Amino acid sequence: MNRITRMMMGIALLVCVSANALRAQDKCLSCHEATVGGQPVEMFKHDIHHAKGISCAGCHGGDSKTEEMDQAMNAKAGYIGVPKGDEISKACANCHANAAKMKSFGSNLPTNQFQNLQESVHGKLATNGKERIVQCTTCHNAHGIVAVRNASSPVFPLNIVKTCTKCHADAAFMRMYNPSLPVDQLDKYRTSVHGIRNAKGDAKVAQCASCHGSHDIRNAKDTKSKVYATNVPSTCAHCHSNAEYMKEYKIPTDQFDKFSKSVHGVALLTKHDLGAPACNSCHGNHAATPPGISSVSKVCGTCHALNADLFSASPHKKAFDDRKLPECETCHSNHEIIVATNKLLGVTSEAVCSRCHSEAQNAKGYAAAKAMRSLIDSLENNEKKASELVNEAEQKGMEISEAKYKLRDAHQARLESRTMVHAFNEGRFREVASKGLVVSATVSAEATDALDEYVFRRIGLGLATLAITILAISLYVYIRRIERRQAKGVQ
Amino acid sequence: MKTLWSKTYHWINERVELDGLVEFMGKKYVPVNSHSIWYYFGGVSLFLFIIQVVTGILLLLYYKGGEALAFESIQFIMSKVQFGWLIRSIHSWTANLFILTALIHMFSVYFGKAYRKPREITWVTGMLMFFLAMGFGFSGYLLPWNELAFFATKVGTDIAGAVPVVGKPMMVFLRGGEEVTGATLSRFIGFHVAVLPGLFTVLLGIHLLLVQRQGMSEPLSYEEESPKERKTMPFFPNFLLRDMLLWLIVLNLLAILAVFFPWELGKKADLFASAPAGIKPEWYFLFMFQTLKYIPGKVFVFDGEVLGIMTFGLGGLLWLLVPFWDRKSSRGERNRFINYIGLFIVLYIIILTIVGWIL
Repeated sequence: MNRITRMMMGIALLVCVSANALRAQDKCLSCHEATVGGQPVEMFKHDIHHAKGISCAGCHGGDSKTEEMDQAMNAKAGYIGVPKGDEISKACANCHANAAKMKSFGSNLPTNQFQNLQESVHGKLATNGKERIVQCTTCHNAHGIVAVRNASSPVFPLNIVKTCTKCHADAAFMRMYNPSLPVDQLDKYRTSVHGIRNAKGDAKVAQCASCHGSHDIRNAKDTKSKVYATNVPSTCAHCHSNAEYMKEYKIPTDQFDKFSKSVHGVALLTKHDLGAPACNSCHGNHAATPPGISSVSKVCGTCHALNADLFSASPHKKAFDDRKLPECETCHSNHEIIVATNKLLGVTSEAVCSRCHSEAQNAKGYAAAKAMRSLIDSLENNEKKASELVNEAEQKGMEISEAKYKLRDAHQARLESRTMVHAFNEGRFREVASKGLVVSATVSAEATDALDEYVFRRIGLGLATLAITILAISLYVYIRRIERRQAKGVQ
Repeated sequence: MKTLWSKTYHWINERVELDGLVEFMGKKYVPVNSHSIWYYFGGVSLFLFIIQVVTGILLLLYYKGGEALAFESIQFIMSKVQFGWLIRSIHSWTANLFILTALIHMFSVYFGKAYRKPREITWVTGMLMFFLAMGFGFSGYLLPWNELAFFATKVGTDIAGAVPVVGKPMMVFLRGGEEVTGATLSRFIGFHVAVLPGLFTVLLGIHLLLVQRQGMSEPLSYEEESPKERKTMPFFPNFLLRDMLLWLIVLNLLAILAVFFPWELGKKADLFASAPAGIKPEWYFLFMFQTLKYIPGKVFVFDGEVLGIMTFGLGGLLWLLVPFWDRKSSRGERNRFINYIGLFIVLYIIILTIVGWIL
């Protein structure tokens, strides 16, 4: 046992001895127990504050060392009675916001809870306009407060959902503050993987505070909220990327890394595009669970509606279901979805079609994939060529805005054809692609005409300049001749 | 051919007595001296004005007024109408060259003291035409209804609105309301193709008549020479042919500018969009615009912008009335003070225009 350990034990012993001594001096408790009794007294006996030697006077004021009621419960001695409204939280903050005091009780709890609570969505004024919506006691109770680690605490992981839903499942109460906020979070939560495990007694799984925070809960639309769209992935990753923490659940912990590199992750986390999906967009939030194989296209289809509809009506739907292949995910992956390029389509080694379709085993699908790839490549090349011609004409100062406008149609046709891939029908794909090819050809022709016109203008200018120069020289010679004649006449 | 020409001349002469005019033209002489080059700028300005009239009429055949059609009609002229691009570019370039040559013409007249008695009315009509030319530029700039034109008009009419007492009603009159809208465009078309050309033509008629009647002004130094040393050339055909030679060169220059630097159309005006960065007026308004930017918000008790506008207004008025207060030149005496003022103004305009262009 080294010196520091001995010193720590000494301090702990001192705190215990002092606490016992202080408890013995708490005349409030002994008197109330003997005279009034009741629930508050009984509960306070198990309160962590009582254990730490803090008397009733710690919150209610007064003198806890005297048995004389007039002296003990005297305003001059600081007695305030039962604190009301914001006075409750302020009474807690007297110690809990004071690092030195907390240290004197041997506590290493953070001392910013009160400040966080004031800044949180719960720290806003209540409907009566006199106090904040939530006080410390709303969640922690008043008498009988125990440590969060204690299974009987209302904020213990297994109890917290009930504590939060005291208000959040009360439609009449919630309507007063946020009528659009659902009140079925608990029902949803109980269907989620987190909720099911929580109900079975797993205190490690996510509950309300894991995602929303505790004292610092903010509106989900607040950029500082842990559940603001761009913060959701890192909030989930707090547990799901922790290999040690997730060890017993035997699921991968690389989702966040993969998501960050994906087209969705880059859009959300790098470009801050709030339209891009976060974890909860596909897995749900309160009812978070991985989507089932057969519902993947529906989940992706909440944003990619056309693609999902086309897929559901395509021959691939049945084929995927029969083989228990997760629809969109089979070709596009799940967390690490990269930008879909033409390379995904066709029969090359990079193409996803070739994983199932080969010339020998599935000639029809193989031929369709090959033809579709060829068409989409042509579409892209022709659009690029048309765009280059338009740019060149524009740079040369030609008025080409109409062709430039039409170029949008070519681009649109290419986008439509990319969507139409999901119908897995060569005929329908060709129909859409042909539209784009026709537009690209028209734009290219117009841009080429503009470039020809550019050359024509220069040739025209050359000829006009030649004609004007000849005329100017002739005029000059004529003037000289007149002037010579006039000079001779004068002489 | 000669018989046909003679017959035609005879036919007209019988009716309007052309002989008198031809005799007058034949006896008209232009002084030849070291400053003769400046005499040509009046003619070039006239030529450019004629080009403006011709190209303007051609553009009117296809131009459609109105918020919804103006931009598109210019787009149509530029891309679909045969040689529409050429006509529009020449019209735009000529507008700028016209202001430039008129400016040079004005300063050459000023420094040559050509405004002195008996040519005060010629100077005043010339100056009024110059103001109208700026009005042509300002009103014509809006007609394509593009982004730059829209905001330049907004800024320009805002400045007009800052003039004390008459500013606000004048701004509302120019805009056809409180804001620059389609109503402003309709008004500007009216000013550009009817009101201004009408006034300009009357002034131009008086101006040319006076020039022909009074002849070219001779510099004071020329008058000091002995009659034997004074050189002249006949106005017809010598000066007129030289004028035409210069016109041909200017025409070629315009064609080169139109082909190599076609006038851009830009983006269509959007009434709800915010002004693009670095919005500037046409170059000939730039020195005034830049000056207003430099004047502090408050100068003593006066509003800086109002003070600037009033100073330019007063300056313009004094410039217009120079023949009436420069009595020395009218008496045939040298007046260096006038030269210094002119030199200061030229340098001021050049420097502020360059600064405004760069910044």
